Amino acid sequence: MTEIFVLVEHRQGKIREVTYELLGWGERWIGQQEGRLTALLLGYGVKELAEELSMRAPRVLVVEDERLKDFNSIYYQRVLSSLLSRYQPLLLLMGHTAYGMELAPSLSVELDLPLATDCIDLSFEGRQLKALRSIYGGKINAHVTLKESKTYMITLRPGIFPPKMPEEKKGTIVIEPSPIQETTERKRFLEYIEAPLTGEDISQAEILVSVGQGIGGPEHLPMFEELAKSLGGMISCSRPVVDRNWLPKERQVGISGKTVKPKIYIAVGISGAFQHVTAIKGSDTIIAINKDPRAPIFGVADYGIVDDFQNVIPLLKEKVKGMK
Amino acid sequence: MKIDPKTFVKDYNLLVCIQCGTCTGGCPVKFRSPLNMRRLVRQTHFASDPSLFKKPEWWACTTCSTCSLRCPAGVKNVELILGVRNYLANQGEVPSTIREALENTLLHGNPWGRFRDRRIDWAKDLDIKILGEETAEILFFVGCAPSYDPRVQNISISLVKIFSMAGLDFGILGKKESCCGNEIRRMGEQALFRKLLRDNTNLIKKIGVKRIITISPHCYNAFKNEYPELTIPVYHYTQVLVDLIETGKIEMRNGSETPVTYQDPCFLGKQNGVFEEPRKILSSLPGVTFTEMERSRERSLCCEGGGGRMWTEGFTEGIRNAEIRVREANRLGAKVLATSCPFCLLTLEDAVKTSGLSDQIVVKDIAELVADSL
Amino acid sequence: MNIIVCVKRVPKTAEADLFIEKDGKDIKKDHLVFALNDWDSYAVREAVLIKERYGGEVMAITVGPEDSKEVLTRCLAMGADRALRIEEPPCFDALLIAKILARVIQGQPFDLILTGVQTEDDGWGQVGVSLAQLLGIPHASIVNRIEIENGKARVKRELEGGLEELLEVRLPALFTIQTGINEPKYVSLAAILEAEEKEMKEVGLEELGWTSMESLYATLDQVSFPPAGKMAEILKGSPEEIVNQLTEIIKKKKG
Repeated sequence: MTEIFVLVEHRQGKIREVTYELLGWGERWIGQQEGRLTALLLGYGVKELAEELSMRAPRVLVVEDERLKDFNSIYYQRVLSSLLSRYQPLLLLMGHTAYGMELAPSLSVELDLPLATDCIDLSFEGRQLKALRSIYGGKINAHVTLKESKTYMITLRPGIFPPKMPEEKKGTIVIEPSPIQETTERKRFLEYIEAPLTGEDISQAEILVSVGQGIGGPEHLPMFEELAKSLGGMISCSRPVVDRNWLPKERQVGISGKTVKPKIYIAVGISGAFQHVTAIKGSDTIIAINKDPRAPIFGVADYGIVDDFQNVIPLLKEKVKGMK
Repeated sequence: MKIDPKTFVKDYNLLVCIQCGTCTGGCPVKFRSPLNMRRLVRQTHFASDPSLFKKPEWWACTTCSTCSLRCPAGVKNVELILGVRNYLANQGEVPSTIREALENTLLHGNPWGRFRDRRIDWAKDLDIKILGEETAEILFFVGCAPSYDPRVQNISISLVKIFSMAGLDFGILGKKESCCGNEIRRMGEQALFRKLLRDNTNLIKKIGVKRIITISPHCYNAFKNEYPELTIPVYHYTQVLVDLIETGKIEMRNGSETPVTYQDPCFLGKQNGVFEEPRKILSSLPGVTFTEMERSRERSLCCEGGGGRMWTEGFTEGIRNAEIRVREANRLGAKVLATSCPFCLLTLEDAVKTSGLSDQIVVKDIAELVADSL
Repeated sequence: MNIIVCVKRVPKTAEADLFIEKDGKDIKKDHLVFALNDWDSYAVREAVLIKERYGGEVMAITVGPEDSKEVLTRCLAMGADRALRIEEPPCFDALLIAKILARVIQGQPFDLILTGVQTEDDGWGQVGVSLAQLLGIPHASIVNRIEIENGKARVKRELEGGLEELLEVRLPALFTIQTGINEPKYVSLAAILEAEEKEMKEVGLEELGWTSMESLYATLDQVSFPPAGKMAEILKGSPEEIVNQLTEIIKKKKG
């Protein structure tokens, strides 16, 4: 029987959306085959989360331990290593997230299992796993074959697979004892730090004028701010703009920044890395302005302008003056 | 090569300074920044404390060179600024936007970091010789802004149109063209400038042209004054256009009644004495009435686009010179503010927009005016 | 505090038109510009900042072809004290690179290893954390702040949605460095030219005792362009016409 394990990602008492995406992919893949999909929930005091999961997974395997309360890859690795050795599933799926990236490579080395990270699709040819990865900033796809193994490990890119929706029929919940014996001082979780919010909250904006590295320099920001103001919106940006200190972190749209759902999202000089694109999918209308016709942003935008922003934005700014 | 600020007094002959303040008097950013050239020269005399050289105002200078040109004692103030910037650059202490411009130039051959392969995108619909593959008498050195900036590309296209009509035997370096280094030297990266100088000199010598025509006065200045081994004549395009007009190789027929005034680019006018040619061209344009602004020629007010200022942010406050200039031109009744430099064009055009004068005055490069009149 | 930084030379592809080689195994690279991987650049800078604060030595290591020496020179110009290039195997995956690095690093004294979170080219994001496991040291990934005290590091990791977590990690440890952790410093050409004089070691795989290649865990079969899929409706015309269309769209969608 084919077994797929999905590592449940949860934080501060909430299951993270990527978990349901992994379950969605797993369920579709198993389809009519003889197989089983199991969600692995590692935590402490997570009964409610297990209940929640059982509506979306046919089987939830729970390991509770005080030391699993917050994510620490050392303890997670200990538990997963024990579970994988015991059950030998065909596949362990994780999100390509801050947790997945911290855990997957070291676990794969420990158990000597082949791993492909940041995959955007998977398929099996017999027992051989083929993974599709998106490289060079989304401009190229790489087709990768993993060395034949009893168990494969995959981190899947978040935000590209439809999530598994809850069902009436509940899955079973199985409690496993914790294999953690020693407490480690090698790595300790101390606390979460929320980014301070000092200005406007871009996730509340109806219109966002969002700028990327492609605007060249901070000297152009006043023009975009004026445009945003005229439209009754706010200015936001992609990660490189924050790394360069052109705008503060709270303006950043993306996986490591904010997820936004405005009526209109205008992306200027943003190439469209997946970390950014994932966080704007909820927008009603996306307009992209970029001089590179092959920029991945045009793959998610509704309307596109292939031109230098300097030919467009000054005109647009004049045109929409007082439109608010 | 280590730079020691203690030798600046000797290196730049600062002891001859008589502290008259003429430098500060003529400085175009004296009201816009704490930059005080007289004081800085004086302080350098006693500069045992290197923190003097970390003041942000060193980045406010536009290297227009009014100070040096007017100095009665012959102090090369601007070279002192470049020496200080070189000292800072070698320590890695440059503003972040300058850092990116310099890194981009090393990597991609232009300060904007645009790809080399895209350098001739502007010419894709034109029939131009690529030197190295073909030969020609004249090297048309396009420069970075005219290659990549969508607004400035129109100057490049206009000049190709004019040169072709006049039957000039010219070609461009194509993807092999790199930054001339004029602004790089002025941002303090002397070593990078020397690399560009060496690469460009070798390339130009290899293709064997007889003359060079540049679009930007900045490239013109570099090739003419700072490339010692480049011995072939270098022309700014305005010098060539005058000749084409006077010898009847091009004929300007179209035009309407237009009052025009002219902004002297510092690197063309003050620094290289090319004052007459642009005026001759403007005066011979059909329908054009040419009027001088009060501050013109040697006294022209710098647009603040030089000396790496295209890549700096901040260091100055208050109304920009370009805005002062645009308002001045507007008061004069000019409908067109002409210039002959990509940086002047960009800074002035921006100032027209920020001053809300878009419906009253336009900024045009002389090359565009000539091309439109053919 | 002895710090090892692992770096990679990568092609810059943001604005470039990409083409695929005839054998379909890779993109064409002869028209591309190469540079130090962006994440690694922050890692090297961070190593130098830590060195300035706590003393010690910074060593930069890369596994790569002869041309990779140019990024090592850059690392030396940025303040690294030593540099080592390890010959690149004919084919490799992230794990093999980690294994080669581990073999070399095992003999070196170190307190800290820094790598970038991932590379700009194939972005496995796997070498750093695998290397930590191979060396048997703790790690933290996506790190955007490091403070060191009494043989321990307090590091901030970047999570999703603007959230961060604070960890305490015992040294020696490995951290993968996120962009934005520090303010990059300009590296002048003068400094690069000077760094060319500094010592750079090179070591072949055979010297490391690497005789036969292990079979890879991940083999690249081919690369392709992503399928076109849904594409934006591209507005056409002069800038004025485009802006007119755009204004209408904004008016309509604004509701």
